[in-house]
Amino acid sequence: MTAPAPATVVAPAPSRPHLRIRGEEIPVVLPSRRDPRLKLSTVIITLHVLGQTLLDFKVSIAQILITMAVCGLIEGVLTFRSTRMLVWPASGILTGSSIAFILRASGTVHGDWWSLNGIEFFMLAAVVSLLSKHLIRPTGRHLFNPSNVGIVWCLLVVGPNQVFAQYLWWGPSVVGQVLAYAVILMGAVWILRAVRMVPMALAFLGTFAVLTGLFALGGREFLAIWHDGPVGGMEYWVNLAFSPEVLVFVFFMISDPQTAPKAPEGRVIYGAAVAALAALLILPQQTEFGIKVAILASLTVVCAVVPLIETALRRRSMRADRRSMRADRPVRVFAMARRPAVAAALIIAVAAPIDTVALSDNKQVILIEQGQVGKANAQ
Amino acid sequence: MTDTVTQPPSTPSTPTTPTAPASQRALSALGLLAVVASALVGGNVAGSRERLFGSETPEARPPAASRVVEGPTETTAAPQKQSLVRSQPWWQGLTVLEGVGSTTTAPFTVADDAVQWRVKWSCETGRLLVTAPGQRRPVVEAPCPGADTGYGVRRGPVSLEVTADGPWRLEVEQQVDVPLNEPPLPVMSAPGTNKILTGPLYRMDQVGTGTLDIYRLPDGGHALRLEDFFVTANVDLELRLSPLEAPQTTKEFMSAPSVWVAPLDVTAGSLNFMVPPDVDPTKYGSIVVWCPIIDSAYAAVTLRPA
Repeated sequence: MTAPAPATVVAPAPSRPHLRIRGEEIPVVLPSRRDPRLKLSTVIITLHVLGQTLLDFKVSIAQILITMAVCGLIEGVLTFRSTRMLVWPASGILTGSSIAFILRASGTVHGDWWSLNGIEFFMLAAVVSLLSKHLIRPTGRHLFNPSNVGIVWCLLVVGPNQVFAQYLWWGPSVVGQVLAYAVILMGAVWILRAVRMVPMALAFLGTFAVLTGLFALGGREFLAIWHDGPVGGMEYWVNLAFSPEVLVFVFFMISDPQTAPKAPEGRVIYGAAVAALAALLILPQQTEFGIKVAILASLTVVCAVVPLIETALRRRSMRADRRSMRADRPVRVFAMARRPAVAAALIIAVAAPIDTVALSDNKQVILIEQGQVGKANAQ
Repeated sequence: MTDTVTQPPSTPSTPTTPTAPASQRALSALGLLAVVASALVGGNVAGSRERLFGSETPEARPPAASRVVEGPTETTAAPQKQSLVRSQPWWQGLTVLEGVGSTTTAPFTVADDAVQWRVKWSCETGRLLVTAPGQRRPVVEAPCPGADTGYGVRRGPVSLEVTADGPWRLEVEQQVDVPLNEPPLPVMSAPGTNKILTGPLYRMDQVGTGTLDIYRLPDGGHALRLEDFFVTANVDLELRLSPLEAPQTTKEFMSAPSVWVAPLDVTAGSLNFMVPPDVDPTKYGSIVVWCPIIDSAYAAVTLRPA
């Protein structure tokens, strides 16, 4: 039996390193300091550090690292299969970091740094995220934000008994909250300007603030495990419109240029649409769990219609013949729907909001948020 | 998150066409099946999510209406709205059996949802042997005179076989974890009774919900009622009166002397208690649910005039 040839990094001829494995030259793409993903990674890791030190996040270092490693490994393998290149899996690692930033396994205690409690759910979310990215590509690029769809899948399918999303409120540490807001806002300026997503973020924040403000005025409230009694009135509005969790969602999740429309006008529509749909899905929710799923699921749905937004904008700008387009549409939609990736996207886009609304009268979620059942105060 | 800002050039996806290989079509079908299954489980269709990943919510059960079972077979005396909430397991009286010498007792019924049952026994002469059908170890096997407790787990109708040389007495109780919804004491609505203090529960170290009312009775004594009450379950909880108006932490509560009012063996439902005769609740500012085992103030009520 012949031993495999050792992998050796061959001295770069021009500037790109590569490996030689069993006689095959494999280019290696290492991280670049100019990669904008590094900015985002810096912000998220800083927030992770604050979460572990001042903000009492109920996630362990082991959960974070394993989720990042699983995502990085899957991304690296899938990229290698399709490109025959060893690419530093920056996207995958960032997906893992994002999942671990938002997802929580019930029963994890802050400060239990190496806890593997519920690690299977983090890994499931990681697998779903990466599979959605590499398999659901109806237009040649991935449709859904990977970490978003993985987290939504996990929250809905695994459910409130086992997992939940990071609280909307990051207290009680005032210092921790001030630092977190500072990191989020500075990170937003740093990243959103680079990817030209400032108008999108403002469209979201404006729409969301107005709609949730109306809900608060209308007497809506929600139950949260961290709050004594329902959260209502001004507190309802502040905890939704200005939650650091929501800001992270707006600045660092929905701002992914790969899954957002390319045109500036489309991005504004996209931001407002995510906010409007989030508000619509929040309206029937009685619990923080339902609200967080509603916010996340709104992005899942809107990502699915981004190609439609882009097509509509393109058609309008081209001033094409409307009659001929109408004649084309039924045939093309029918043909598209037969493609598995489109069918999967359609099912996800329809199921996510329906399943989210179904949470609104789920007695288990209500009792968990009231603290009346759960794994020793599960959430 | 923005986890795909840039990535290496990807190969465009190949749309599945009728000419796609059979294996690819099969994988696509499998993938779609997984998406459909996820959609159904995500909606908890037919309780599928809770079957797969478990449920924190126990089966809905009727709460108990009394500390003593009043019917022959029921945990509750009257039909009540079913509850998903559970209490710390507590002992509910079933029956008292007395006799002289050996006999088979009249049957009593242990509820299907009971955790276990026990017999608090006493006897005067000789030996006492009590066995339950289907249970290998005797419930009681002891010399007399004596008094102690024996346990059983069989549910449904139970007749005990008693072998004794003299008089004996058995108090049978079952342990249940359903809430206890006692009706208000008759004296609480008697002429001359006044509701004098009231307040909602608030959290301290644990979850506490519901309201608390204190009544001054015509004889000068005081009765206390917890309504729609829930506190995080634990053993040996108790109610204590504190001079503080609104203690927020265990440390703050412990900084002032408090007075014992009643044991809190049931942690969910609507409950009545009599305040010890030598205690005047009007001289205190709050009532705290206290766990002496771990020195923790679970929840509290600020007492306000009713």
